Amino acid sequence: MESVLYNILGAVATFLLAFVVGMIYGGLNRKITARVQNRKGPPFYQNFIDAMKLASKRSAIHHGIMQHFGPAFIMVSSVMSLMVVPVLTHNQWFPNLNFHGDLIFLLYIMVFGPLGMALGAGQTGNPNSAIGVTRGLSLMTGFEIPWVMALVALMIQYHTTSIVDLMNVQIQSGTWLMFSSPFAFIAAVMAMLGMFRYSPFDIVGAPAELASGPISENGGKYLFVMMSAGSVFAFVKLTLYVDLFMGGADNLVILLVKTFVLYLIPVLYSLTTVRYRTEHAIRWFWGWPSFFGLLAILQAVFFK
Amino acid sequence: MVGSPVLFIAIPLLAAFLIPLLGMIWKESVRIVPGLVLAYLLVLSVSLLQHVLAFGPIIEIIAGWKPPIGINLVFSPFSGFLVTLMLFLGLLVWAYSYRFKRNVEYEPALKYFLMLMMLITGSVGMTLTGDIFNMFVFIEITSISAYGLTSYYKERNSAEASFKYILLGSLASTFLLLAIMIIYSQLGTLNMADIATKMHLMKPGYKVASLIFFITALGIEAEIFPLNGWAPDAYAEAPGPVGAAFAGIVVKAAVYAVIRVIYTLFDLPGAYQFLIVIGIITMVIAETAAIRQEKLKRMLAYSSIGQMGLVLIAFGFGTKEGIYAALFIMFNHAIIKSLLFFSGSYLAYNSTEKNIADVSGMAKHLPLTSLLFALGAFAIIGLPPFAGFWSKLAVLTAAADSSLWLIIALVLAVSVVELVYYLRVVNRVYFFKKEEDMEPQKPTVNAMIVMLILGAIILLVGFYPDSVTGLLHKASSDLMDKSQYIQHVLSAR
Amino acid sequence: MNPVLNIFILFLGGAILTYFAGRINKVLQSLLFLASVLVPAFLFYTQLSIGQSATFSVDGITLNWSLNYFGWLFSLIVLGLGAMAAIYAVSYMKGKQRLGTFYFNFILSIMSMTGILLSQDLISFFIFWEIMTWSSYLMTIYNGNKVQSIGIKYFVFSAIGAYAMLMAIVMVHSITGSFLIKDLINAYPTMQLGMQIWIPVLLLTGFAVKAAMMPLHVWAPGAYSNSPMAYTSVFSGALSKMGVYGMTIVFVTLINKIPQGIWFREVIAWMGGITAVIGTLWAIKQDDAKKLLAYSSVAQLGYIITGIAIGTELALLAGLFLAVMHALFKGTLFMVVGAVEKQTGTTNFTEVSGLIRKMPWTFFAALLSIIALAGIPPLGGFVGKWMLYESLITSNHYLLVIVIFFSSTAAFLYCYKFLFGFFLGQEEKEWSHVKEAPAAMVVPMVILSLLMFVLGTFPGILLSPINNGLQALGYTDSYKNLWETSVILNGWGNHVVLQPILYYIIAIFLFFVVFLTLKGYKNTRYVTTKDISSSGEIPKEDENLTFSENFYQPFFRAVEPVMRRQIDKFYKNLGEGLEALFEFMRRIYTGNGQTYAIYVIAFVVIMLLFGNYLLK
Repeated sequence: MESVLYNILGAVATFLLAFVVGMIYGGLNRKITARVQNRKGPPFYQNFIDAMKLASKRSAIHHGIMQHFGPAFIMVSSVMSLMVVPVLTHNQWFPNLNFHGDLIFLLYIMVFGPLGMALGAGQTGNPNSAIGVTRGLSLMTGFEIPWVMALVALMIQYHTTSIVDLMNVQIQSGTWLMFSSPFAFIAAVMAMLGMFRYSPFDIVGAPAELASGPISENGGKYLFVMMSAGSVFAFVKLTLYVDLFMGGADNLVILLVKTFVLYLIPVLYSLTTVRYRTEHAIRWFWGWPSFFGLLAILQAVFFK
Repeated sequence: MVGSPVLFIAIPLLAAFLIPLLGMIWKESVRIVPGLVLAYLLVLSVSLLQHVLAFGPIIEIIAGWKPPIGINLVFSPFSGFLVTLMLFLGLLVWAYSYRFKRNVEYEPALKYFLMLMMLITGSVGMTLTGDIFNMFVFIEITSISAYGLTSYYKERNSAEASFKYILLGSLASTFLLLAIMIIYSQLGTLNMADIATKMHLMKPGYKVASLIFFITALGIEAEIFPLNGWAPDAYAEAPGPVGAAFAGIVVKAAVYAVIRVIYTLFDLPGAYQFLIVIGIITMVIAETAAIRQEKLKRMLAYSSIGQMGLVLIAFGFGTKEGIYAALFIMFNHAIIKSLLFFSGSYLAYNSTEKNIADVSGMAKHLPLTSLLFALGAFAIIGLPPFAGFWSKLAVLTAAADSSLWLIIALVLAVSVVELVYYLRVVNRVYFFKKEEDMEPQKPTVNAMIVMLILGAIILLVGFYPDSVTGLLHKASSDLMDKSQYIQHVLSAR
Repeated sequence: MNPVLNIFILFLGGAILTYFAGRINKVLQSLLFLASVLVPAFLFYTQLSIGQSATFSVDGITLNWSLNYFGWLFSLIVLGLGAMAAIYAVSYMKGKQRLGTFYFNFILSIMSMTGILLSQDLISFFIFWEIMTWSSYLMTIYNGNKVQSIGIKYFVFSAIGAYAMLMAIVMVHSITGSFLIKDLINAYPTMQLGMQIWIPVLLLTGFAVKAAMMPLHVWAPGAYSNSPMAYTSVFSGALSKMGVYGMTIVFVTLINKIPQGIWFREVIAWMGGITAVIGTLWAIKQDDAKKLLAYSSVAQLGYIITGIAIGTELALLAGLFLAVMHALFKGTLFMVVGAVEKQTGTTNFTEVSGLIRKMPWTFFAALLSIIALAGIPPLGGFVGKWMLYESLITSNHYLLVIVIFFSSTAAFLYCYKFLFGFFLGQEEKEWSHVKEAPAAMVVPMVILSLLMFVLGTFPGILLSPINNGLQALGYTDSYKNLWETSVILNGWGNHVVLQPILYYIIAIFLFFVVFLTLKGYKNTRYVTTKDISSSGEIPKEDENLTFSENFYQPFFRAVEPVMRRQIDKFYKNLGEGLEALFEFMRRIYTGNGQTYAIYVIAFVVIMLLFGNYLLK
């Protein structure tokens, strides 16, 4: 009983950490983008203000029960992913549930959210949402390929599908997987660009074209939940990458440093590119990133 | 025992001569008397068969001249089985055509029933006889009746079909006479058993030549490729029940003759290979031609030819399983093809062209007939649990035991072709719209009963093939055993 | 009497009685139908025990029936789905014509499948296989549409497969002298190499046709969409699994015993993977729900075939688990389509949309089935997919993992399309009269969907019979090193503990739903789908805002080169070529009497010339 309570407390604490860090990173994204574009930009804590504003609003209308469930689905996905990814190693304050699942489970639970949200967006009947969803799903078939190739390469090389084991390998051998499986890292980072849906892959929620696509009918608390889920999800992805490729983190400061460095990659890349159309984006993912993924698998097979 | 084998010949011939006379007194007798005759002969045949299965073949000597000088009739399990089958089908054909063309004055009906009876008699005689010249005589009787029945409708097409049949039939007779002449001049005997004992004395050149002439002659009647050009026309232009009679009776007798010649008379092992090859060619060409047919009866004719090809292949294996399979196919084919001809006639009754397109949509008006046609189609394709499956399985098993894999593959490939064209017709009957000017004709009571009997047999044999397989096994072992045949005939008194 | 024979007699007798009962009373007919399906199923599970056998002797062949664990596993699909579909069918077929034929063929299909599972000898297997083929053929042409093109295409492919099987059966008989499957298995390792290769190839051809593996799958979309939906759930759910049943037996008992088996396994595994990808891509393209589900079936069967072909224990568990799950969710999905068809009259996404508020229970069943199809936890499909991926990785099939994963990701597209097309999206006025489907249709759907939930959390319930079945075929026990009741493991020691995951998911979901409800829902009012944010321009009531044409246009632009070639075109050309050949054959019979006479003379001349060689 005590351990269950302990677990739940730990889970809540992890969630809050993810929420806060995710929001701050979002804010930092906006700040950096603004600075590069030679303007002042909002403060880095702007996302919190936005969140509180949204949380305090009331929606007057709704479109039905699926729309109501949509944000809940995406939150489920984000939180379950968070439970599975170990946040800090060897730390009693943040116990993780990672012993319950592995990489493949993570892959699927990460998809659960966007699909749930897509269902919710579907019930609103807004054609923009539908178009956005179709673009999003199509894009997913694009970036999932190099992502899975990278993961499969890792799984083959170290004979495990568990994240904890991959972290242990890094600790034991002393080198990060970023260096011992470089191609996998490159492919995974390229896939990450698609996962974050920053430019050049932001066609899914193209604001001027689709009125933000899938989220176009949501406001107030729905948008608040979605925004929080988005932030938590961003944190989860970054932490996952850190755990897999950069050796995990012992304490919070190292974790923040590593995740921020990683986060800079999509942020800075988005500042320099223009938006791809969906089919170009998909084809791009099946090009160079998949090639690197293939190299990663070959390396894993031949250089075990 | 209700009689002896000679009655199979004597009574129908007598009745044939008496029927016109009786007909002048009472018109109905023209239709009734053949039925009585056939029924009696069927009973005779069944009882003789039972006797023969228990005690061995019955050899009947005609006119007191003992073999090998005189003519004898052989009623063995093999020939007896075929005779029973032919008489049973003959009875059914008679029953089906009882009210045939009723509203025409009696003369055509007289000719029809007369020729039908002679057809059956000739076939039965061909099967029973033990003398090759006697066989020639019966072939002539059968052929002439067949020519007449083909042109029964007195139209241009029927006349043309009959003419082709006459042309080829005459060639058959000629070659048969040539073959008999060669044998008689070389061996000095016309008795089959005697020829079998003396065959090794014949010079190889003469042996081969006479076999070739035999095969040509009998093959024309048995619808072997390339000798069967007459068959599609004849089947298509003859009346429906006559088509059934051809498929079920005449062809069976001709195939019997071919097989008797190859198995019993001659001792050339290459002949078996030849049977397989020619059987394959016949089957493949016939079935592939069938798929392109537009007329219903022509399609059934080609299908018939194809099945006969399969029978020849099975006989060509030369093993007991092969003969058993061939006999089973012959039995099933007789029943099923007759059912198809019978029901097909009613489905396309009022059509002049008898095109396949004319049977569209008949299922709504003739539900039972269509169902029986579909049953026949399923059965002949070889789908379980209907009769045709067991015979096909027997052929394939026999082929596998002789390791003839290519043949198995060919037979199965041809089965696929078969199912396409049969199912196309069945689909038409059920799902297409009826042609505007096609009047459906309900079958008469007697026709319906006949079709139902055939359908019931298909189902019975399908679910419980053991009802006929015992008989077939006995018949096949009878054919395999040449020396038994010779011994029985030559020692008869 | 022997319970096996009892079951067959009940099925057959029930079928015949039901066919004729239509003349008397429709209600009686429906009741007889239900009894003919449910009573033998009930007898099967209560009276029949493993190992009990019955024989029937025909024509010198002994037909041998008995039940082993492997057959029992598949009987769950056949009889379970069959019973649900039967209940569904009574309501679906109300008011339709030719009910007697439908019921007759339905019962015969179930009977023949049960017969296949019980058969211990090859002849009985083949007989039931053919009965299954022609009874499903009669269902394919039931509605009378396109009978020649779709119906005969189905029959021809099935026949090619079945005849290949028949050839293998007679080959086996010529070697072993018996038709028993046991004898085949025992004699196989010592056969000569030619036989060892040919017999499985021929048998696999037969099974692959039924399991819709490429390139023998072209009959599937037409046949599945043409049959009545009540039957298609059995057709796609259970009949295709008979192919899987056969393939598994061939692989486990025959191919895995010879060293050359590795070639079979690799080729078939890749065929399965390609089937999965191509099937998925074509499914995404379809606008008709029936065709979409048909292609989806082909793709899912690709996964199953891959799993079985790989051959490791985990892979076999995965393949068979996916087979059962597929029967469940595909059976439910076809029932959903049937319900929509019955209530609205169409199954085309471009014609009907927005049914979620009108048919909520149907939507619920569809939602759960789609989630299971997509393989998302916590439903059952995830367990199967997880085991499949793990087995592919642990058995070194790296590229195949990518292929299967791509197919799985692309499957999300048509999953969403199915749900969006029917239930979500714009609600149009012409469909405002639509009501929920009758209870007899909804209840089976919901039961089957809830079953997926259970199997997702406690896969051990299903893995246990699968394990027993595999052991009956000769595999070692995999309990505790590949699964426990609520845990799935792979060979490397990684595992997923499913029960707490489900509880967490439910907890989080409920928490946020409650949060949103308390804070958001109560004071809001429902608005129609016309009341949407649209940059100030308010849509009118009759304005059509439905988005369903060209639904995945960007995706298709990206995969366009792959979709250009169609296997169907190949078969069509082949068929046309053959017809031309047959036309040539036909012309040999010129119709000219003199020509025939010349043929005769030519025959005689040739024979006389070569007679010595031919006849000696």
